[in-house]
Amino acid sequence: MRPLWQIPRDGLFWLLISVLISIALHFDHLPPWVALAGIVAALWQIQLYRERWRQPGRLLKWSLAGACGAGLLLHYGRMTGLEPMVALLFSGYILKLLEIHHRRDALVLLYLSYLIIILQSLFSTTIGASLLVLMALLPVTAALVAMHGSTDNSRPATALRTALSMTLQAMPLMLVMFIVMPRIGSLWAVPQQNSATTGVSDSMSPGDMTQLGRSGAVAFRVEFDGPIPAQHKLYWRGLVFSSFDGRRWEQQASKAYQDGQFLQWPNQPLAAWDKMIVRRGQALSYRVTLEATHSPWLFALSTPVSRSSSVALSRDFRLVNNEPVVSKLQYPVTSWLEHQLEPSSLPDWRHNIELALPAGYNPKTRAIAKQWREETPDIAALIDRLLGLFNREFIYTLRPPALGKHTVDEFLWGTKKGFCEFYASSFVFFMRAAGVPARVVVGYQGGERHPSENYLLVHQYDAHAWAEVWIEGQGWLRVDPTAAVAPQRIEISFADLFAEREGFLSASPFSLEHLRDIDWLNKLRLKLDAMDYAWSKWVLGYENIQNDFLLGLLGGITPQRIALLLLFAGGIALLPVFIMLYLSREKSTRDQLDRLFLQYCTRLEDIGLARKPGEGPRDFAERIYQRAPSLTVPVDTLTQLYESARYSEIKVGDVQRFKVALKAFKPSRKALLSSSC
Amino acid sequence: MSKASQQITEAIIDRVESVLVGKQHAVRLALACLYAGGHLLIEDLPGMGKTTLAQALAAAIGLSYTRVQFTSDLLPADIIGVSVYDRNKAAFEFHPGPLFNQLVLADEINRTTPKTQSALLEAMAEGQVSVEGETRQLPQPFYVIATQNPLSQSGTFPLPESQLDRFLMRLRLGYPDPEAERQLLSGADPRSKLASMSRGVTPLQLATLQEEVSQVKVSASLVDYLQRLLQFTRNSGDVDYGISPRGGMAVLKSARAWALMAGRDYVIPEDIQAVFAPVCAHRLPVSGGEHRAENFIQQTLNSVDII
Repeated sequence: MRPLWQIPRDGLFWLLISVLISIALHFDHLPPWVALAGIVAALWQIQLYRERWRQPGRLLKWSLAGACGAGLLLHYGRMTGLEPMVALLFSGYILKLLEIHHRRDALVLLYLSYLIIILQSLFSTTIGASLLVLMALLPVTAALVAMHGSTDNSRPATALRTALSMTLQAMPLMLVMFIVMPRIGSLWAVPQQNSATTGVSDSMSPGDMTQLGRSGAVAFRVEFDGPIPAQHKLYWRGLVFSSFDGRRWEQQASKAYQDGQFLQWPNQPLAAWDKMIVRRGQALSYRVTLEATHSPWLFALSTPVSRSSSVALSRDFRLVNNEPVVSKLQYPVTSWLEHQLEPSSLPDWRHNIELALPAGYNPKTRAIAKQWREETPDIAALIDRLLGLFNREFIYTLRPPALGKHTVDEFLWGTKKGFCEFYASSFVFFMRAAGVPARVVVGYQGGERHPSENYLLVHQYDAHAWAEVWIEGQGWLRVDPTAAVAPQRIEISFADLFAEREGFLSASPFSLEHLRDIDWLNKLRLKLDAMDYAWSKWVLGYENIQNDFLLGLLGGITPQRIALLLLFAGGIALLPVFIMLYLSREKSTRDQLDRLFLQYCTRLEDIGLARKPGEGPRDFAERIYQRAPSLTVPVDTLTQLYESARYSEIKVGDVQRFKVALKAFKPSRKALLSSSC
Repeated sequence: MSKASQQITEAIIDRVESVLVGKQHAVRLALACLYAGGHLLIEDLPGMGKTTLAQALAAAIGLSYTRVQFTSDLLPADIIGVSVYDRNKAAFEFHPGPLFNQLVLADEINRTTPKTQSALLEAMAEGQVSVEGETRQLPQPFYVIATQNPLSQSGTFPLPESQLDRFLMRLRLGYPDPEAERQLLSGADPRSKLASMSRGVTPLQLATLQEEVSQVKVSASLVDYLQRLLQFTRNSGDVDYGISPRGGMAVLKSARAWALMAGRDYVIPEDIQAVFAPVCAHRLPVSGGEHRAENFIQQTLNSVDII
């Protein structure tokens, strides 16, 4: 079966390039066989073009579609979520490549290519990725240009050049739209991306943090209004775990809190529990730019308040976003480092939450905790005694031995080697067993100061878990058992502590972090990070400053002013294009005489006597004599004048004479013969 | 000057029309072709007046005329001439063939072999023939009017494109209109008038006319128009390749003659449009029938604006 429509050669070339680029961009998060299927489909299309192979039959296409659906279901085990959806779209896109019968099919594929390439920005929005996406759009535009080309043998480079100039011409307008267009909140919720995320998760079991310790990715950056506080004060609280099932620490269900709503939004009246926060001393203001976590929780120093309307303060005194953070998010925070949380006595239900322990786990720890509490009734002394034990006998390592059922027992009295979550978990378990309310807090600790840009860079390997203990009259106190084992972990940066050791960064084999010792490479790394930060602050985070910027520009934001600004700035942005078009316009060969002759034609056209294309002045005049004899004299005069001036030789005054004659020439419909057809 | 040329033209056309009734347009084109110094190919069915036209033109212009019926056994020597040994002079003497006339009617040119065809076509292109190592000039002016029958192609040798190109124009006469046909049927055979026909132009006048043709003015915008027409034929996907530059020059030469015949000393677009189809149709490689070539030419003329 021959295709009904022959795809232009250059169009096919760029279409296939677009498909291959789409595959390359999404290679990370596609099942490999989908990418392979894409390459096979592209080959098939080439063979179709060369008339070597035939169009796939209906049966084959249906079975391929079925196989793709089944394969995706098998691969992901579910169809909801970002990645399965993208993969589903992708397989449809690839199957469509096998049936290009009309130009509209090719166009559908190209529009899909645009969508699929843009979808990449859901997965990454760094400068590099954004530039890559922008460049990847170019071949698609070239294919679009080629599909609309007239000849089918033009060279692909021609289409690319046209696409490039079109893209460049669109750039100014793009910038204006970026600056002026009001941002609309997402119209639909982006499905949560479930796999391959890094960052702290909503539960903690032994070994979780170890994974993070191997990643050099940036978690967030913080820009302080004043100087950056000392390293040991930088405890970025993210999640509070009060519920333990013997192995896994989890958040307490929010309905367990019985005093008012769990989340307090900035624009709502203060919740009853807000008065349990005592804020003292100097307020510390800073802005956090968080990388996508696909989770709603945010990170801040205790105890925080955020002015952002989408950020709430929760009952356990941490910040929560109103939706999962799927792209970079910037939020302003004010923290009081000196504070007390719930200093007055805890009600019974609070005691129950913060003391709960699963039955049947870690009997040895329970017994020893009870015994120690009897020996050391003072809570502060009890804490010191346990920390002292850690300090003397325990080893801080990124490669802890595996633990069995009684994790705390085995760790405290057996292996004695572990990472921060081992210490936090067993510390809190011990405290609860001793009857002291305690909970696990997870977040990040410390960060890397950027030497020149005055911001703090927090990496995934700064992820940390510590404990909070409640003491009557003082409220919740932060206790970091890791500090007792490895004080340097808190005092100096994590990277310095673990550099070149124990699989640190083994999950980021290409990270520049490996080369921190080489000075200029380290500088390069920090420079790149500063660029990335500026990108996320000014481009991705532009939404946050757009309002202020426009307010300063317009003196008040109304739809009319926005529209006017859009028109004005759009006009300015397009001005170079207009100038370019004006300068490069084809030098018109029409001189004044031809323009006057065209006026003459227009006047006759207005009364229904249009000159046909290719009709000479004399033939035209002959036709007018037939249709409107009363115009014979003026038409004859004008035709003679034009003809002799145009085709014999132009004499001085010819144009002027034509002009004068034309001025007097005002034909009307009355001149037409009514009987004429 | 131009008035005189117009009068001469009318005189010639009147004479030819008295023999070939109701074919004024074709006669004008044929005359324009001769003014422009080009050869004419007439393609039509038998009995449409091809020979009559050629004879009448020869008589009205006063040229020496022969007719050669081309057959498959015709040899080049038959049209060029042969040297015969003269015993009295004891030397070979050249006996010129029918080509040594000012107007040669080559009837059914596609019936003869390529060998003879090319002998004729060489004469047409060079205005001279080479016989036995000696180049002999043909009389001036030298015109060939060739005819061919588009039907019954069996046993013919169709002219290749390169040789078709030697003809300035290709005409078709077609059936006469009813009035002319009635006139033709009711009167005596118009060909009887041929013998008594006086010439309408002297050889000197004809030479002057041909000189005038080359002086007809062509303005820049007209050249521009013609070039766009040629460009259109080349860029269109309907034909494999368009009109050659030589074809363009042929159009311009014919248009000049056409303008002169209308009493003008400058060419207007209508002149080009009038001669475009006869000059270009046989130069276009269009497969699928002659009508397609003519449709394509009409489409070209309708698509390219004069301005």
